[in-house]
Amino acid sequence: MLLRIWNLVLKEFVQFVRDWLMTTFILTLPILQLILLAQATSSRISDLCVAVLDFDRSGDSRRLVAALDNRRELNVCHFPETLEDSHYLLDQGDATLAVVIPTGFAADLADASTEPHVQLAADASNSLPGSIALQAANGAIIEFAAERAATRGATAISPVDLRTTVRFNPELNARLFSMPAQVGFIVYQVTLTITSIGLARERELGTLEQLLVMPLRRVELVVGKAIPALIIGSVNFVCLLAVTVFVFEVPLRGSLALLFALTLVFIVAEIGYGIFISSIARTQQQAILLVFVLAMLDMTFSGYMVRVKNLPLALQVIAQVVPFSHYLEIIRGVMLKGAGLDVLWPHAAAMAAIGVLVIVVAVRSLGRSLD
Amino acid sequence: MSIPRLLAVVRKELCHITRDARLLFLVTVAPAFLLVTLSYVFALDVGRVNVAVRDLDRTSLSRDFTASLGADDDFAVVAYVQRDAEVEPLLVRGVADVVLIIPHGFADAALGGQRTEMQCIVDGSDSITAGQTIGLLQQRVSDFVTDLLGQRSVDVSVGLQVSDRAWYNETLKSLISMVPGMLAVIMCMPALALTLALAREKETGSFEGLIATSVRGAEYLVGKLVAYVIGGMVSLVLAWLVATQWFRVPFRGGFLDFLLLAAAYLFASMGVSLLVANFVRNQQTAMFLILMVFFIPSFFIAGLITPVSSAPIARAVASALPTTHFIAISRGVFLKGLGVVALWRQASVLVATGAVSLAGSLVLLEKKIS
Repeated sequence: MLLRIWNLVLKEFVQFVRDWLMTTFILTLPILQLILLAQATSSRISDLCVAVLDFDRSGDSRRLVAALDNRRELNVCHFPETLEDSHYLLDQGDATLAVVIPTGFAADLADASTEPHVQLAADASNSLPGSIALQAANGAIIEFAAERAATRGATAISPVDLRTTVRFNPELNARLFSMPAQVGFIVYQVTLTITSIGLARERELGTLEQLLVMPLRRVELVVGKAIPALIIGSVNFVCLLAVTVFVFEVPLRGSLALLFALTLVFIVAEIGYGIFISSIARTQQQAILLVFVLAMLDMTFSGYMVRVKNLPLALQVIAQVVPFSHYLEIIRGVMLKGAGLDVLWPHAAAMAAIGVLVIVVAVRSLGRSLD
Repeated sequence: MSIPRLLAVVRKELCHITRDARLLFLVTVAPAFLLVTLSYVFALDVGRVNVAVRDLDRTSLSRDFTASLGADDDFAVVAYVQRDAEVEPLLVRGVADVVLIIPHGFADAALGGQRTEMQCIVDGSDSITAGQTIGLLQQRVSDFVTDLLGQRSVDVSVGLQVSDRAWYNETLKSLISMVPGMLAVIMCMPALALTLALAREKETGSFEGLIATSVRGAEYLVGKLVAYVIGGMVSLVLAWLVATQWFRVPFRGGFLDFLLLAAAYLFASMGVSLLVANFVRNQQTAMFLILMVFFIPSFFIAGLITPVSSAPIARAVASALPTTHFIAISRGVFLKGLGVVALWRQASVLVATGAVSLAGSLVLLEKKIS
């Protein structure tokens, strides 16, 4: 039996070597995709355009403008003359934030009995830059005022100081969150595509008939098809992980052996999905379309961009039966938090259970569609 | 160009679309379906933050503060930590997102007017959420302090007031801004269907048959374009219904303005896909190209999540993408209530893109026929 499986695996590899164009694609495209995405997600939001409407035109108001401009997030680039002009800039999206400094700003600031009133209006039609601009401007203005107050000898500082320590990712680098997920997603895509298309192609070309008349049992056929996918998936994983850790310097704080072992479990579960798809799909095109739809759904339910606990409750429940969501907890846990099996066992167990279930269903469904 | 022949081509294309279930799905329902799933993927709102509290002070004031945190839905106190060693596992397990440490003598210092320091340890693995959590927590602490000092009539003013307003999206909810943006991205699905249909015509050889009829090149291309723009408009209305009824995104602009601007976008994206289709032989390549040219870049450089980059190359690529302009249009009409007049810049770029690529593909087609 082992010999027969071995021969089938050998045949698959001969095919991969012959179709060298596709094989190079499978091995190099994922790395390119990973690098592109890493570049795209690393850019922090900075230099948002600010329009300042300075009715005061005093030394103090200019110092306030400079304080705003000095923020990394902000860049003062428009000086409209009227409120309508600043409104227009926000409407057109030419400015993310409008600041209105009232007349008598400097005089009111110098007089302890009056408080000048600075107005901020942000274009929140895109909420992320909008809220970042508001936070940065608020910070700059309060700092400016506190400094002014300090020079007058007043203590205007809050008695409670909040000191924050950020664990696992002190610089709040977005890459550390997105890259492990990307590695998982690419491995997922590659394994699923290879398994589901492999059988669909044999069917389309009619070579499946030949395989069926050979002295191979169904299980041997499935295992023989699964092993090459497992090997290619693992090779891909190792390459991508190396790029992530060595090129993009995402830490790997936990055990590499544990991560690799759990990745194998994940790949096996995905191979189960692949076999299931190939038992339904009649042509390669149908297989591709099904993989595409499945990938879209998994992106939604896996916590790929937004963590599962921030999803609506109904979606959180669905997420529990998606192996990818458990794998994301595992790869992020091991890489960023150095988590071990004592912490991750519920996710590992869930993933393995789903995997076994899917494979049983898939093999049965394939057996039916072959006979 | 003859109008009856053009209409005949349009009718033939509409027949194709309605007959093929897969194509019909791609052109009409798929965008609305994707809008629902993808909007959740990119909704970057912080849900409830789980806090673990290590209260070293154990006074009524520190308990008041803890209670004030859990008072609404932003924070939930999930654990009280007794020993320092328990802090790390809570974060590693993901039980708590933040551990808050209230020091000894917190109440004495805060009430006595001395400075004291509260410590919070944040799980930074999800950087965007962590950043927002820190901001939220700072807000809570300063609110609490202001309340406390206000009760004892101590003036904490820094001698300056700031009023800030988030225009167009007052609650700063990510979903409200993400849905109109995502609507723009997913509206490239009808263009994908057009490229697929063109590639299939080549694959199956029915293109040859069409050339042999009296239909001219221009009529063939314009007819296809019109049919798919019509299909695209149907899917646009469906997606609009999803946005306003399911996600409850406010729609402040005029519906007619929106339809007109969307037609300009569909014209541009269909034009580009006609051009792309000229170079592809089979459906697989067509799908791959459209995904690479339209779909993937739309997420990252078209201003969907982060604003369009100011770096020259990225900026040039972004302004060449029809999606970039339609994201601005969609958010403009939905949230800012703008009309065609205010959005003329984006609209004219789209119309120009459509016209140029239509002309380009016409030239290429004529060359191929002759």
